[in-house]
Amino acid sequence: MNASRRLDPVLLLALPAVLYLAIVYGVPLMMLLGRSILVGGVPSLAPFIGFLSDPFSWTVIGNTLRIAVLVTLVCLLIGYPTALALARASGLAQALILVAIILPLSVGVVVKAFAWQIVLRRDGVVSQLMTGLGLWSEPQRLLFTEAGLVIGAANVFVPFMILPIYSVLKLVDPRLGEAAATLGASPLYRFFKVALPLSLPGIVTGIAFVFSMAASMYVIPNLLIGDRFQTLATLTGRSFLFMRNEQLGSTTAVVLLVLTVAVVVGSAALSKRLGGAS
Amino acid sequence: MDMLSAGKPNRRALLRAGLGATALIAAPSVLRAQTKELVVGGAAGHKPWVEQTVVPMFEKKYNCKVIFEGTRSLVNLEKMQKNKDKPYMSVVQMDDPVMILAVKEGLLEPLTPAKAPNMADLLPGSTHMDGMWANYLQPWLGVAYSKTAMKTAPSSWAEMFEPKYKGRIVIPSLQNTEGLPSLFVAGLLAGGTMESVQKDTDAGFKKLASLKPNLLTIYTQQPQAFNLLEQGEAWMIGPAMSSYALERKAAGAPIDLSAPKEGVFAMPSGIAVVKGSPQQELAFAYVNELLGAELQNKLAGPTFSIGTNKAVPKPEGLGADVKIHQIDWANVAAQRGDWIKRWDREMAI
Repeated sequence: MNASRRLDPVLLLALPAVLYLAIVYGVPLMMLLGRSILVGGVPSLAPFIGFLSDPFSWTVIGNTLRIAVLVTLVCLLIGYPTALALARASGLAQALILVAIILPLSVGVVVKAFAWQIVLRRDGVVSQLMTGLGLWSEPQRLLFTEAGLVIGAANVFVPFMILPIYSVLKLVDPRLGEAAATLGASPLYRFFKVALPLSLPGIVTGIAFVFSMAASMYVIPNLLIGDRFQTLATLTGRSFLFMRNEQLGSTTAVVLLVLTVAVVVGSAALSKRLGGAS
Repeated sequence: MDMLSAGKPNRRALLRAGLGATALIAAPSVLRAQTKELVVGGAAGHKPWVEQTVVPMFEKKYNCKVIFEGTRSLVNLEKMQKNKDKPYMSVVQMDDPVMILAVKEGLLEPLTPAKAPNMADLLPGSTHMDGMWANYLQPWLGVAYSKTAMKTAPSSWAEMFEPKYKGRIVIPSLQNTEGLPSLFVAGLLAGGTMESVQKDTDAGFKKLASLKPNLLTIYTQQPQAFNLLEQGEAWMIGPAMSSYALERKAAGAPIDLSAPKEGVFAMPSGIAVVKGSPQQELAFAYVNELLGAELQNKLAGPTFSIGTNKAVPKPEGLGADVKIHQIDWANVAAQRGDWIKRWDREMAI
């Protein structure tokens, strides 16, 4: 890299967005952070120590992380092949796949969650399909189970996995694969040694997107699993609204923030390294 | 991209749109200047009867406009607290436990018989904490059940605990006011008295934990729970509110509400005036109307509730011999935090 250190005037175009975010996001965030470490006006780590020394808190943190990881994994398994298909497709096929991915984004999360309630019921489509195929001996319910939550959440977040991977795959020169083929590489070898490494930055971005959204989702667990399953996000909402414990609410919100920021920053760093290595 | 330039509007169209928008924004403020507005905060479930019966009658009688904001009691409390210096809601319809919090935070204006004369005709125990709020209609809590799934109505709260109902039972969260009696019901089934189970909930918690295999879910959103019941996924919801369950039944849903032999619970529906709120006179008039026999007679039937005015007869569906338990809400307010803690740890999946 030999770009000059001088500020590019084009960067100024980002100013409105930066200002907007600083006001609607930065300021409240600072207030939240402040409240989480102030006890009676004095800075203290006591709220965090108190929260983290309660075994129940670790159940909640465990729930949050487990669900976020599972949702991310499902999105990756479904999203990667889709992104690959989208990058290879052209004309009408590509347009159709794109519409199929982007159009569902216009349907509200609440509507989707309610729809999943019907699909995941004991007499719902999934249960009928599984018993029909002989995979289940009797109809089972997925609604209000962790599996049901993962399925429902993955449905909402999968476009955020597909699109970043697609945008990276699209830039990969298809002749690279052909070149490998002419040198005798099998399709499987070509995928793992050529396509996959080149698409890693997209995968990492997708993981960061989906993980941070899945870790902080609130409405979906509320509707698909109910009050018996607490995550950091639901506990935060409940602390503020119900228990009227703003201290606990700010603390859990900050713990959630730290977790997601760690994953996003970590994956961004990883993406940079992998991108630079290729 | 093409999309941006294709639909580019010309200058005249922009001007026209701008004028239209200005007119739209300006119009309501003109209207607002002409009539007095009263903002009432309440539960989302109240919306139908408030807007169909109370609002038309009140607007006509007092020549004003009533805006009903239907959310949840705790959301209302949050709004009152955040707007303490400049309240915009004048009346709140909230559950008693939340009223206690509102009193503690100094958010309510006391009701007096001079400002709300109908207070004199209420059943004993209907006003609380020196008139800070009063109960108007009290829905009752029983067991709601699916008529398609169950041949006979559940006659005891104990039926929800029977193993044959695995995964078919829904209960309210302790977050919801109607969820608290589940703890007392469990205590009663474990052999306590109504007085003892409210003081010491240990036996209740242990009994409630045995309900876990039967639980389909624990709800925080009432409509969601009733959807499950009406679709046949859930078979029983308990405790369930008469005001919601019987209204769904009347609308043709294949469900019914049973009053178990151990007794039903009266829901603590309170109404109060917000301290320092606009239109105080109208606010007291609104409260007075809801405490009056005229409105309560009109509403007790359709809302399937017990009236608090002496002149209102017992609702249909509740036999004369059914025990109606009243809950000690001050005790609830004092202990609720600890109960929630224990509930979270013991009722989780």
